[in-house]
Amino acid sequence: MIEVKQVTKTYGKKKNIFTALDDVNFSVPSNTSVAIVGKSGSGKSTLMHIMSGLDRPQHGEIIIGDRDILKLKARQTDSFRAKQMGFVFQSFFVEANESCYENVSLSLEMSRTPQMERRKRIEAALADVDLTDKIKSKAGDLSGGQKQRLAIARAIVNQPKLLFADEPTGNLDTATSQVVEDLLFKYQTDNKATLIIVTHDEELAARCDMQIIISDGKISEIHEAAKKESK
Amino acid sequence: MKTIDIVKRAGRNLGRAKSRTFLTAVAISVGGFAIVASLAAGTGAKHYVDQVISANMDEQSLVIYADSKFTDTSNAATNFAPGLREYDPDSFESQGVDMKALTQDNIDQLRQRDDLASVEPFYQLQPQYVTFGVDKGQKYSSDVYAYDGSKVSPTLVGNMPELHGMLGDDDAVIPQAYLKTLGIEESDAQKAIGSEVTVRVQQTPQSVDKDEIQAAFMKGGEKAVQKLTEGKTIDKTFQIVAVMGNSVNELDQQQGVFISSNAAKELSDFSTEGTDLHGKYMMAFAVVKDGLDPAEVKDSLKNDKFYASTAEDLQQLLFTFVNVLLGIVIGFGALALVVSVFGIINTQYISVLERTQQIGLMKALGASKRDIARLFRYEAAWVGFLGGALGAGAAWIAGTIANPWITDKLNLGDGNSLLMFELLPSIGVIVLLVIVAVVSGWLPSRKAARLDPIEALRTE
Repeated sequence: MIEVKQVTKTYGKKKNIFTALDDVNFSVPSNTSVAIVGKSGSGKSTLMHIMSGLDRPQHGEIIIGDRDILKLKARQTDSFRAKQMGFVFQSFFVEANESCYENVSLSLEMSRTPQMERRKRIEAALADVDLTDKIKSKAGDLSGGQKQRLAIARAIVNQPKLLFADEPTGNLDTATSQVVEDLLFKYQTDNKATLIIVTHDEELAARCDMQIIISDGKISEIHEAAKKESK
Repeated sequence: MKTIDIVKRAGRNLGRAKSRTFLTAVAISVGGFAIVASLAAGTGAKHYVDQVISANMDEQSLVIYADSKFTDTSNAATNFAPGLREYDPDSFESQGVDMKALTQDNIDQLRQRDDLASVEPFYQLQPQYVTFGVDKGQKYSSDVYAYDGSKVSPTLVGNMPELHGMLGDDDAVIPQAYLKTLGIEESDAQKAIGSEVTVRVQQTPQSVDKDEIQAAFMKGGEKAVQKLTEGKTIDKTFQIVAVMGNSVNELDQQQGVFISSNAAKELSDFSTEGTDLHGKYMMAFAVVKDGLDPAEVKDSLKNDKFYASTAEDLQQLLFTFVNVLLGIVIGFGALALVVSVFGIINTQYISVLERTQQIGLMKALGASKRDIARLFRYEAAWVGFLGGALGAGAAWIAGTIANPWITDKLNLGDGNSLLMFELLPSIGVIVLLVIVAVVSGWLPSRKAARLDPIEALRTE
């Protein structure tokens, strides 16, 4: 369960003040996939950054489980993010010069996973995204779709309860997008995790259990699909 | 992040920017090289000084002066400053320095002390010339010294006195270097043993007045006047008992004919007869009795207004010179280090800018500010370590190659090396360079740590 309470985020000062998020309130039950939908500049990315503790709002609370992550110390937030959250970005952000193994290993290093467990977990994560044969390949040699699959392996290797995806298919063609989407949803359902996707792709948003539509920093609509009950 | 992971990641990041890492390391290594090499030179020089001192001086030996000028180093500049001085009948003028001399009474007084085993004044002998029996009377200029029994000198041929022994009153020792001039091959040195050496010493001319000159002229003409003003001479003949071998560790390289101290006294007394210098000595050599500490005897002498310097004092003095020179060279090394510091800062800044995205990603994945700062600090540490290892390694290799050549050029003697490398100081220098690198990486690493991950991850 994630609760977003009265979150307000502004940039600039006084006369030049710009309100990115204006008193945003909603809650997401566990084991749900959520799409945050909106136009460019609507504040959807800012919302994701605040929910993940990367950014801090002027007002509001983000309650994950039973604690307000905005009240945690910086180090605790970092450690929480390392262990409980996974991230997938539009531009993949894989280290081109490192092997797939090393790329995935970064997440385990962040969560201080013991050395002994790492290989097993990295291999499992790469198997999940069907990149087992690329384990030693440089990430820079992969295709776009493979890079995003690698990024997913890196995001899920810690088995986070919360997976954030910021326009995960924005740089991919339709066929590969499909594969990437399937992987994200599969992880979410298999692990009873919460998947939060920021997108303006309506088809992708439609696959989620819940759609939060943002415009000009405010929530304009929240849809909860009926199919959620059946899960 | 665990430290080990950060260290590994730092190493991998550097490995990816090989040429940049290498060049930065080379810049640091210049300072490291200079410092390691100067430390090695310092160790070598001190070792050499030690060797020279122990070869030349008995640890128990003292040099005693009646004047504190030579032992008081605190105001050496004023002690030896030129200027007009009050006349003192007990003073002694030597090479432009006016100093209080030891008198025969002083020597006797010293000889009565029960903490000194022996006291020998330094006889200044300026012979007119010396002649050698093997060379049919050819005249040579040579110094003549009283033999110093407080050290063992190397023997080429013949019988040298034992330690603390003295030559017989008719015996003389000549240095190896004289053989060539005398036309004797080194292999044939035995020929010199038993041959004669004659020392001619001239008395300082007495002042003569007009009447005396007139009287002499009346008596024997021009020749008699010449003889009167010339001063008396004495010829003393010695038998060569030994030829002293060359020693590379010889501190003062005293090259001359060595005779017994009795003979030296006789000649010295003769040559100074009737002058102010008669019975006065610039200094005296003494040997402290076994079991007594020379430093304590030195203090006790000071109460009696005798000023002594010990073998250790001399060693300290030489070390001071070595240390000053060393300080200068190390200073230049440190300067090179300071320059390299800016090199590191520059490279690290560029590295931070280049890797904005990587830093942002790491932060998003849960790296703390401290983790990021450490990553960059460890990268700097790696560069410092590489630079240090490179510099120290290069200094060792260069030193090992250059040592035989330096030893040869400076005539240090076989087995002596100017550059003596020790493991611990070299490791110390590497550690120092690591610290210097980390300190220089501090600003860039702070910049990296403070980078806003959202800015870093923005995709345009």
